[in-house]
Amino acid sequence: MLNKVIELLRASGVYAWEVTDVKTHGWEFYFIRHALDQNRAKDVEHITLKVYQKDDEGMGSASAELAPTANEAEAKALIESLAYRATLVHNKPYELNPPRPASGGGETAAPDVAAIAKDFLTAMQSLPETATEDINSYEIFVSAKTRRLITSTGIDVTETFPESMIEVVVNARREGHEIELYRSYDSGTCDAAGLARDLAKTMQYGKDRLVTSPTPNLGKADVLFSSAAAVEIYRWFAAKLDVRMVARRMSDWEPGKPVAPEFRGDRLTLTALRSLPNSSKNCRYDAEGAPIRDLVLLRDGVTEHYIGGRMFASYLGLDDCFIPSNLAVSGGTRTEAELRQGAYLEAVEFSDFQVDPMTGDIFGEIRLGYWHDGENCTVVSGGSVSGSMRDFVQALYASEETVLYNNWRIPALTRLGGVTVTGVD
Amino acid sequence: MKAPFSPYLLRIKPSLQQLVALLRRDYDYVSVLATDSVGLTVSISRRARSVGSETMTTERGVVVRLYRAGQYREYALNEFDPDRVAETAARIEAELAAQQAVLDGCNTKVYATDALSDEPLTLFVERETEQLPETTDVKALVDRLTALSDRGMAMDERMIDCMTNAQSTHVCKLFLTEHRDLSQSYVYSEGVVIPIMRGEDGSVQNGYEGVSGLCGPELFEQLDAKLDSSMAMVRDLLRAGRIEPGEYEIITSPEVSGLIAHEAFGHGVEMDMFVKNRALGKDYVGKRVGSDLVTMHEGALCAENVTSFAFDDEGTAAGDVIEIDRGILKTGICDALSALRLGIAPTGNGKRQNFEHKVYTRMTNTIFDSGEDKLEDMIASVKRGYLLEGMESGMEDPKHWGIQCIIKLGREIVDGKLTGKVVAPIIMTGYVPDLLGGICMRSSDREVFGNGGCGKGYKEWVKVSDGGPYLKTKARLG
Repeated sequence: MLNKVIELLRASGVYAWEVTDVKTHGWEFYFIRHALDQNRAKDVEHITLKVYQKDDEGMGSASAELAPTANEAEAKALIESLAYRATLVHNKPYELNPPRPASGGGETAAPDVAAIAKDFLTAMQSLPETATEDINSYEIFVSAKTRRLITSTGIDVTETFPESMIEVVVNARREGHEIELYRSYDSGTCDAAGLARDLAKTMQYGKDRLVTSPTPNLGKADVLFSSAAAVEIYRWFAAKLDVRMVARRMSDWEPGKPVAPEFRGDRLTLTALRSLPNSSKNCRYDAEGAPIRDLVLLRDGVTEHYIGGRMFASYLGLDDCFIPSNLAVSGGTRTEAELRQGAYLEAVEFSDFQVDPMTGDIFGEIRLGYWHDGENCTVVSGGSVSGSMRDFVQALYASEETVLYNNWRIPALTRLGGVTVTGVD
Repeated sequence: MKAPFSPYLLRIKPSLQQLVALLRRDYDYVSVLATDSVGLTVSISRRARSVGSETMTTERGVVVRLYRAGQYREYALNEFDPDRVAETAARIEAELAAQQAVLDGCNTKVYATDALSDEPLTLFVERETEQLPETTDVKALVDRLTALSDRGMAMDERMIDCMTNAQSTHVCKLFLTEHRDLSQSYVYSEGVVIPIMRGEDGSVQNGYEGVSGLCGPELFEQLDAKLDSSMAMVRDLLRAGRIEPGEYEIITSPEVSGLIAHEAFGHGVEMDMFVKNRALGKDYVGKRVGSDLVTMHEGALCAENVTSFAFDDEGTAAGDVIEIDRGILKTGICDALSALRLGIAPTGNGKRQNFEHKVYTRMTNTIFDSGEDKLEDMIASVKRGYLLEGMESGMEDPKHWGIQCIIKLGREIVDGKLTGKVVAPIIMTGYVPDLLGGICMRSSDREVFGNGGCGKGYKEWVKVSDGGPYLKTKARLG
């Protein structure tokens, strides 16, 4: 059917077109404690058509999904509808990505979903649970994906890759009181050792969560991030370098200029990477067919390159932009021991730590933290952290040591100065 | 007019019934949910304008649920060929057998559960709508949204964009078992205006106002009226200061009240969490969790908005549950499988993100009842506090009854009067029973909001609506 769709698009007379065909073979397992709640399988295909039209007023696009069961008449009708709808909106014209070779290997073999699933099932049965810290429930998602992108400019690339996710809820209890901690891990395949290591640490956090004191009102304080929440901090950097934000004047970061008026902390380097170990995003091409490559985006706190999709890149006059899949942050100058000096709040569990990509505002209710007042350490919970990355970027310290969170490699520790800590007492 | 039921689903229905009958030979319970939901999305901003056919809930596919020997399994596909039913049945059985081999190889134990009941039920529902997303005048909609965006841009020289977005979805679902035959068709729509301004200091802020309803694209005529208030919001945000962290008397706008309802005793009483012992609410049924002024409803029938269906994704008829009655927690909401495990009746809250996803207990419309107070009296009663407006996001914590609400802004109230001072953004945290226990006034009006989506943890996104009146209570703000 896909060949017929392409034939119809070529004959349609539209200015340009893209077809994305994503096939997913997935297995899922849901557990309550270690008993199987239910198991699921799926075999689905999603074909998305995007049609572009160009006239004197500009260029417009319209998109829709074509059911894999559609016949030729349905496909033709959809293309005609899209061809009309694309004339209704007008953007500044640009050209779709041309075909370009990518670095790295070609098409890979289909991942073995059964083998990956077995690795997860086995890993979860082998965790070091105790009478007081154990697993409440977990959900395992394993899939093999094949994504093909075909465009009117001659791009025809296919990528096959594994994509996994496991969500785990950990319980800890003491004297009739029980708490839970939530974890989710994205990856390509199963990293059994990493999973066991992090869940063992989570169980220790669970123990601590049972003996917390209310977070004190600290006013402005240094906050140390040592968990996956820190990815959100660095995601803000990537958002500020996105051509969509720059072209719409929501980011004022410019190549050759530092991202802060002055740096009292570390000058970070942010790099887009073609691959990271066991990332679920190790693709050669982005969703628009641009080859993904290793590229320094921010060097020592100074903007070098923007990232993002073709449309906004072309508006900025950039021809070789791409949507990155893996990112790495480096440039931390201190050891973990140095970052753990003085007074600081180490926040390890949040309800939901967020950084607003537009305003840079940070938010997070503290579920577990360690308040180091310079002499003593108190385990705390409750209250919140808030403030703005626009301020924190000037006083951010990061560790030399790094840690991997699926498609992000970031400093193991990140310390922000002057964070507002609203306490409970 | 009636929103017409999907011709595609009608065409494959006899074959799906055959599939149920075929699989029923080997399984004690078989259900099929088939979906064919189409949509329209128009997005307008200064630099990017597009027309699409996908919304959060557009889908076409089939999911089969099978039960045997205490174990539930599901298989989802979207290439169902009505002429090859036996082949499809064999494919499903082969795939699930391969899964079972892996499970058996890992010595997996099953959370043994009874078979779902299959009482006979037939339903065919086509809800009223004025327009359909698939046939509406897209050009007129594009022109309307463009004019609105242009008008916003002209209102303030600090504007850098004025985004307008309209989405409409025509939902069609077919649920079949050996004894059930349920069909529903309805249209819901939602639209937003998001003006974005850059301040003199380089900071960027956005306002936000939306409309939603159980209706077609005719809803978007109401969007024009939202421009002024969204512009006022972004102007206020640009001049806002930071709040001094602390506990304050607060008055929540209906939108913020809805957020509290959703995060506090929406997620807090999703009873699939009771099965896993993940919700404190399990131990509080029949006990006080709020003041006498707290009464909360949940159900697809208790409002007409984006998730007001006739039956849920497990074929349970929609309901209207009183979760909290004058401060006393009465019950939770429940999907069919969890209800079976808990020995209770399902409430019509079994929802999937789409046919590819598992059913969880999910919210529909979650709403505080209104009272008899006037907003001006509520403001006059505040010694020092804030009127909170605009919802950004929230996060549930059913196990410990914490709550996190990110709120757009707060308007300062001192000695019963709004001072004109604005603070933003605001993170509201606290202990749910304290927050609800402190509710001492509630306004007589009530609004329901259906923009945005709701996740379970960090995934499984579904449409929900929530709302309530203005509420006065105390909370910790940062």
